[in-house]
Amino acid sequence: MLMRSELSRERDHFDWPLFICAAIIAVLGVVNLYSATSVYQGARAELYISQVYWLVLGGILGGILIAVDYRHLERLGYVLYTFGVFTLVLVFVLARDVRGSARWIEFGSFRFQPSEFMKIFLVIALAKYLHDDPRSEGRSLRELAVPAILTFVPALLILKQPDLGTATILTLIFLSVVALTRVRLKSVLAVLATAGAAAPIVWTYVLLPYQRARVTTFLDPEQDLLHRGWHAHHARVAIGNGGLLGNGFMHGTQNQFFFIPDQHTDFPFPVYAEEWGFLGSVLLVLLYGFLAVWGVRVASLAKDRFGAVLGVGASALIFWHALINLGMASGVMPVVGVTLPLFSYGGSSVTTMLLAVALLMNVSMRRHAGVPSRL
Amino acid sequence: MTMGLWPGVPGGGSPGRSDVSEFRRRFRWIGLGMVVLFLGLLGRLFQLQVLDAEENKAIAHENIVRRVTLATTRGIVRDRNGKVLSASRPAYNVYVVPERLDMQSTWPKLVDYLGIGVDERARLEAHLTALRADDGVRKRQQILLKEDISRDAVAILATHDAELTGVEVVPVPVRYYPFEEIGAHVLGYMAEVDAERLTTLRSAGYVEGDRIGATGVERAWESYLRGSRGWEKVLVDAKGRRKQGGAGIIEEPRRVDPIPGRDLRVTLDADMQRAIEKAMRGELAGGVALIDVRSGRILGLYSKPSYDPNALSGGSGKQVIRDAFRRLYSDPLKPALDKTVSGAYPPGSTFKPFTALAALEKGLIDPRATVQCKGFLSFGKRTFRCTHVHGAVDLHEALAESCNVYFYRLAAEYGVGMDLIAELGQRYGFGARPGLGINAEASGRMPTRAWMTLRNKGQFRLGYGLNAAIGQGATTVTVLQLALAYAALANGGTLYQPQIVRAVETSAGTVVQEFTPRVRRQIEIRPENLALVQKALTAGVNEAGGTAYKARLAGVEMAGKTGTAQVSHKVTRGAEAERVWYFNREHAWFAAYAPTKSPEVAVVVLVEHGGAGGKHAAPVAFEVIRAYQELMHAQKSTAASSTRGAAGARSGQGRAASKPDPGGGRP
Repeated sequence: MLMRSELSRERDHFDWPLFICAAIIAVLGVVNLYSATSVYQGARAELYISQVYWLVLGGILGGILIAVDYRHLERLGYVLYTFGVFTLVLVFVLARDVRGSARWIEFGSFRFQPSEFMKIFLVIALAKYLHDDPRSEGRSLRELAVPAILTFVPALLILKQPDLGTATILTLIFLSVVALTRVRLKSVLAVLATAGAAAPIVWTYVLLPYQRARVTTFLDPEQDLLHRGWHAHHARVAIGNGGLLGNGFMHGTQNQFFFIPDQHTDFPFPVYAEEWGFLGSVLLVLLYGFLAVWGVRVASLAKDRFGAVLGVGASALIFWHALINLGMASGVMPVVGVTLPLFSYGGSSVTTMLLAVALLMNVSMRRHAGVPSRL
Repeated sequence: MTMGLWPGVPGGGSPGRSDVSEFRRRFRWIGLGMVVLFLGLLGRLFQLQVLDAEENKAIAHENIVRRVTLATTRGIVRDRNGKVLSASRPAYNVYVVPERLDMQSTWPKLVDYLGIGVDERARLEAHLTALRADDGVRKRQQILLKEDISRDAVAILATHDAELTGVEVVPVPVRYYPFEEIGAHVLGYMAEVDAERLTTLRSAGYVEGDRIGATGVERAWESYLRGSRGWEKVLVDAKGRRKQGGAGIIEEPRRVDPIPGRDLRVTLDADMQRAIEKAMRGELAGGVALIDVRSGRILGLYSKPSYDPNALSGGSGKQVIRDAFRRLYSDPLKPALDKTVSGAYPPGSTFKPFTALAALEKGLIDPRATVQCKGFLSFGKRTFRCTHVHGAVDLHEALAESCNVYFYRLAAEYGVGMDLIAELGQRYGFGARPGLGINAEASGRMPTRAWMTLRNKGQFRLGYGLNAAIGQGATTVTVLQLALAYAALANGGTLYQPQIVRAVETSAGTVVQEFTPRVRRQIEIRPENLALVQKALTAGVNEAGGTAYKARLAGVEMAGKTGTAQVSHKVTRGAEAERVWYFNREHAWFAAYAPTKSPEVAVVVLVEHGGAGGKHAAPVAFEVIRAYQELMHAQKSTAASSTRGAAGARSGQGRAASKPDPGGGRP
């Protein structure tokens, strides 16, 4: 009886706008993937089917996550975080190079990317810390030291893989969460000053030559159109080629004639924008915008600090992925390997995004509930 | 936004784990920040997809639609019997698109496959780098990297096609001359069109790297031979691979077919050309013209030394062309000069028939009157020499034995002045370009008294007239002029326009245009005077004492005149000095027509610095005419045997139907 009533109550509290929005993006993503990979023969042309499998798998994992009240995650926060950092270390031991960077761990024929899941673990760990550390006055820098360390340990590990994009995302999640807290103005200025001073050092000693090249190429795209600039240039041309109404499904010439590189991972948007035009682009940006802003709303309705930070962290994860990916495709940001949520092909990426949506759903559904019995 | 989306957040109370008051006002700012950033992104997309849509569409279109040139085929030149004199063969050229060539990975492979040397590699790399830095469209256009690569290299490139992005192997027709050196001057060769000429030729469809006829028939008949290119728009993907389809992407028209060039049928006879070359093998330099006296058509035209037009025409690459040109222009024997039409030489005694005609036409001499030759003639303070002591000679003997004194005295005592000679010479075409039109033609010189006076600062010496009478002094002629003039002596007075192209044909063999013989002038000459000269020319070859008598060949019947033309003494320096004896030797001439009765051809042989005409030029002419007779005989018999069956059948039928022929009865 109890189970039954809980189930019916949770059905009432199911966040339909969140689910529908995510579902529409996922469906558009699969359809787009079908077109994007249609130019290939053999296994690569079947990627959209794999993507459906990943969506199903990620959906099941997300369902399990939703079923468990998010407040139970609080106790597991640092455990999960430590596990995540451990897998990142493991990458250096086990991983094989794929295109010059080692990002994957393999179990038999199955391989996953620890850095993707680290994003979720970081969100949970940050939420756990801020949950345990309520303040009424503005925070000083020293009081933000722990969340900063929580962020930069995995971020530096990932940067060494090397994977500039994911490290950037972790940093942006951290900054988004910090934006939620009250920080002294003096501290903000101090951080900005330090960042300004550190930038040349990071540029020279931390970033690898190819990462620097991506930035310089971004700043001056014409300098090397054949190599690094090629991706950015033709992605941009593809988007523009879509015009207002688009060339129609499967009729984007930039994609059909192989001018869009990595069209299933980094650049699915140019394929979509070329086929569906500006109207299609507006629709997709509105969907992501709704998803992110709805997530922030979910966070604002949370009953506790943990839920609020989880909500903002998950929203930030989706938001920054979408913004950076669309930004690099349209040529307003450097090309870094950041996927488009639920649009880009990839098991780890799809699962991570679905887990982020599931976190939001979890927080959203529990806002009406009291403290779970076991807490 | 604040209404539905942002419900009020309960606040107040002391800080606790459930106290979210710290975050309270932050949610709105975060949400607003997200909206603003996404609006910025939408602005960028609006710019790309709406404001700059046309520009981006144009780039996308240009990415995949490529206009490829469809080569045309240059017309084939055939001789009068249909033998190919110049045609085209495929050469495989390597083209690259600088923008699409990967200098790190593709370029070293290409260098390896093509076997490009270190120096050439450095040069090409510099060129490619410069083009890649270019802002304009040039880096996107194909440029020629290497010409006429070997069949092996073609096969290697085809095997590795997939890894050679931006590289294309294009078969290009290259001019091919099967007879090589024989006829190089008259047929000409092909040369790459230079930047200077390109400015004017671009409107006619020429582009960088095109070849154009440089000399000879190739140059003069360029517009007929060339044809015009076509083009086709094709779809190519990012890797440069051709794609099918394109309906709706490629605008019409998608294709313009190339038009092949016209074939030419020339009047030359390849076998005659070869025979002339063979006859001239003993001599270093000179020219030979063989023309049909009944039409002015040129059967043979040969200039020595010659060169191989294949090396110049681009088949074997630029280095070979450069080397060939260096040889061509450093040789003191001047192989680049077409000595049959471009070089003017003093005609010497070959001119005497025209002096004789000038005297006869004016009635100034009695042909039977004799003149005493003592081996020289003193005139004023000077002594004018003869070859030897001829004794008493009349006109006939003076021509046949080539007595200078006789002609000196015509000028000195019988009133055959320079103007009289010039007037007759001009009627025979001397002093004016014959109008063959294939190479730069010299006009030669037919000096008049006024011209000589001008040239010598207002002074005229009667001695000039004496020299003019024997074809020396200021008089110069070209080999072709002399041949045409002798043809007019042979055919009774018709001066023809020389003709080299007989017909223009399509590549399928249909005659488009046919050129009939053109008469330049009908020379009014009294037949009995002409007969006197013809008789003397016949004697010059066939009578003991004739200057060419010793050189005659059995079975070769012709009439002709030798000439030994003095050259103005040349003072040379340096390396040339040891060869000066050669360059100061007389030119040997022989001008003739054959057969003596009802003549068919005129032949003129010039052996530069050959010495005596009877010794050096006449034997060549005999060889040429003998070859001509044999060839005509062979051609007649093959023609007869191939038509005999049909003709026999037809005539048999005719005879059966008609009455017996009263005159045709045989014993």
